[in-house]
Amino acid sequence: MSDSVLMNNARAMVDAISELPTIPHVATKVIELLDKPDVELDEVADMILTDQVLAARVIRMVNSPFYKPAHEIKSVKRALIYLGFRHIRELAFTCSFIDVFQGKDGAFDIRTFWEHSFGVGIVAKIIAQRFRYPDTEKAYLVGIVHDIGEVLLSYYRRTEFEQLLASIKGKSYRMVEAEREFFGTSHSEIGHCIAQKWNFPADYCEVIALHHAPEEAIIDPILVSIVNLADLFCSVRQLDYGSQSWITFNLADERSWSILKNYAPHLADFDVERFCYELDDRVPEIQDLVQSIFQGVIAE
Amino acid sequence: MEQTFFPELKTPTVKISDKDFETLRDYIYNLCGIYFHASKKYFLESRICRRMEATKVKSHAEYYQYIRNSITGSGELRHLLDEITTNETCFFRNGPQLAALENKILPDIVETKSKMGFRKLRIWSAGSSSGEEAYTLAMILLEKRNTLLKDWIIEIVGTDINETVIAQAKEGIYGSYSVRNTPDYYRRKYFKTESSERFILAPEVKKLVNFSLLNLYDDNKMLFMKSFDLIFCANVLIYFDVASKSKVVQHFYNNLQPYGYFFVGQSESLHGVNDKFKTIHFPGGFAYHK
Repeated sequence: MSDSVLMNNARAMVDAISELPTIPHVATKVIELLDKPDVELDEVADMILTDQVLAARVIRMVNSPFYKPAHEIKSVKRALIYLGFRHIRELAFTCSFIDVFQGKDGAFDIRTFWEHSFGVGIVAKIIAQRFRYPDTEKAYLVGIVHDIGEVLLSYYRRTEFEQLLASIKGKSYRMVEAEREFFGTSHSEIGHCIAQKWNFPADYCEVIALHHAPEEAIIDPILVSIVNLADLFCSVRQLDYGSQSWITFNLADERSWSILKNYAPHLADFDVERFCYELDDRVPEIQDLVQSIFQGVIAE
Repeated sequence: MEQTFFPELKTPTVKISDKDFETLRDYIYNLCGIYFHASKKYFLESRICRRMEATKVKSHAEYYQYIRNSITGSGELRHLLDEITTNETCFFRNGPQLAALENKILPDIVETKSKMGFRKLRIWSAGSSSGEEAYTLAMILLEKRNTLLKDWIIEIVGTDINETVIAQAKEGIYGSYSVRNTPDYYRRKYFKTESSERFILAPEVKKLVNFSLLNLYDDNKMLFMKSFDLIFCANVLIYFDVASKSKVVQHFYNNLQPYGYFFVGQSESLHGVNDKFKTIHFPGGFAYHK
């Protein structure tokens, strides 16, 4: 199936959804802020405080084990000071973005979607740090949004998606390939359509569209490769949509790995086993982080 | 994550700090290639506590120095590893590894060998101890004898350096601790339960496995362990220094068929030991492929 056919099928599918969620105003503002060099801390604090639900969620998240504060943090301003400037934006973005898919449980529990998404965000950030990619915050954010197309398939095409999951159960299958065979398109193309509708920056769109084909990336192949690798690692270390699909890979054969090794030759001797074991240790933290976000949703 | 159950443990008296835990974990990982997950912190803590009592050492920092000392160290490290791995053996111990075998590795090997006109599968459990791993594989393969492995010849070899455990393996009688992870289906089908503490393995499973004495350091004998499709070696290499580990792993590499796979134990790593194997990732574990 050619790329244009896959994309046309995705467009038709997304256009057929009458009540496609819209991205919250605050998230759009945050994305704009990401590119503004002289943004003030107070500006972000005020923006968060205009939305009380968001403000409460920021406080809950900053108190989760992931961020490990020594004492309980009770105000938005304290949270912002504690986190430091770059973290504020990522936190505000993720907190507001969570609303988009609230209640969209479908073929899989939305919580497992967020555990995978935050897992990929966090692992992408760790890989970005190890490979000395300059914008680790961006790696985190694109990691979180990379699979947005999956929610649409799971929620709006639930019955068919459940059939697909049943047909690949216990088999070694990459989800993106199974979807292309089954739907004539995949979460990559569907995610790309949504990202365009929501006016995501071009490099975000590229990651969403090509995180399973990093060799095709043009704008930022390193970023796409980081997310591809983070996605693979999460899929084999308990951040895998509740084990819905069973995947296997050989790192040496992955294009993303070749791209990253060329970019950072000092990591040719990367201890991948240890990296995975350390990742196992972080899984409970990531689950706690998602849990803290959901406490906010349930309380509303 | 695997749950461990050690009813004989006393409550540890000295709590290990995060920093001391990380120092010891890194030391053990770099030397032995076994990683202690944060979830095993209390387990490691209690085991170190026993060793601190035995060696009359007062603090974790002092114990770390003791284990690093060239005179006391190598002997003590062995004692600690014994404490850590003793009683770890049980049937169906490494779930993710067995899932990988069933989902991917076995079907791939069967396909490759069928194309070449072969219908024989050779498997080696190196450091087989009392036989639980070798017999687990035998049970899994027996379940496939009418489907994937119809008309296939299955040879499973278990080797160990210790005669006593070889004799236990040949006997095939196990306590409740060994079968604690065994799914009910397998327990009913392949064990005769004589009492809550005595489980007798079915003859059809026993006859699939041959146990023999073997020292993995013995280069001459290692040369004769030829043509395996799968080799398992869990919690054995951790006792070897890096040079011996490299030598033994090279033997495993040579003894594997070109499409074969090599497995180590949960939380073990071959990083820095052998650069010829390719690391294959699957949910919850790794396999090494030629």
